[in-house]
Amino acid sequence: MSSKIKTYNQKDWIKENLSYRKDSGSWAWILHRISGIALIAYVYMHIWSLSPLAQGEKAFNDKMELYSTAIFSVIEWLLFAFVLFHSLNGIRIVLVDWADGARYHKQLYLYTWIIGIIMFIAMGVIMFSHLL
Amino acid sequence: MFKYKSSKESGGKSWVFQRITGIILVVFAIGHYILMHFHPENGKTYAAVLARMQYPWYRLIDIVFVTFALYHGLNGIYSIFRDYNLKQWTKITILTVIIVSGLAFIFWAYSIILSIPYIKQ
Repeated sequence: MSSKIKTYNQKDWIKENLSYRKDSGSWAWILHRISGIALIAYVYMHIWSLSPLAQGEKAFNDKMELYSTAIFSVIEWLLFAFVLFHSLNGIRIVLVDWADGARYHKQLYLYTWIIGIIMFIAMGVIMFSHLL
Repeated sequence: MFKYKSSKESGGKSWVFQRITGIILVVFAIGHYILMHFHPENGKTYAAVLARMQYPWYRLIDIVFVTFALYHGLNGIYSIFRDYNLKQWTKITILTVIIVSGLAFIFWAYSIILSIPYIKQ
């Protein structure tokens, strides 16, 4: 007897993934993965950009001129959004894996977004309140 | 010899360490952000960094932070590839790139942290 098993063509993985109906958990997974890739790329860049510290005060201050401009503060604030989403969703994942979170995973996802937006605005206040 | 992927490579230890390093990194990362951006004492100037690095504990915290961050990030990247049925040589190549670049950047970060001078008083 031979049963026809639906096989999954790995080469079409993007189309295959996009064809699935997306639920909140699917969005959480893909955003977690995207923010994770962005963050590891940022960590590499961060180590490279701090290397002038080893060469003394003058070299470091010269390079930091670029990073102290206002537009960079805004970019750093947006980076914090990635950090926040990845951290809060990560906490949700740990709750699902190691506590009873699986029963409440959708509510936890909602709390992730609510707490995330509140903390994002709070960090904006911390970073930019001196301008007001 | 084996048609299916062996459960010997279950990735159990990586899975546990991802979660443990992740929890610790949440604390480190948010604390780091607040420390760096709290006005008016801007944590990003050379003077502020120098003042912080006088305490060996801060250097240790930074070293642990960068080690956990790179481990968590690179393990995460590798776990993306774990979803796919890679040929053995592809897997070895990717793992080599990840490990070599990870070690290079970790040691670069350590040398930067440890090279900041102690001010004689």
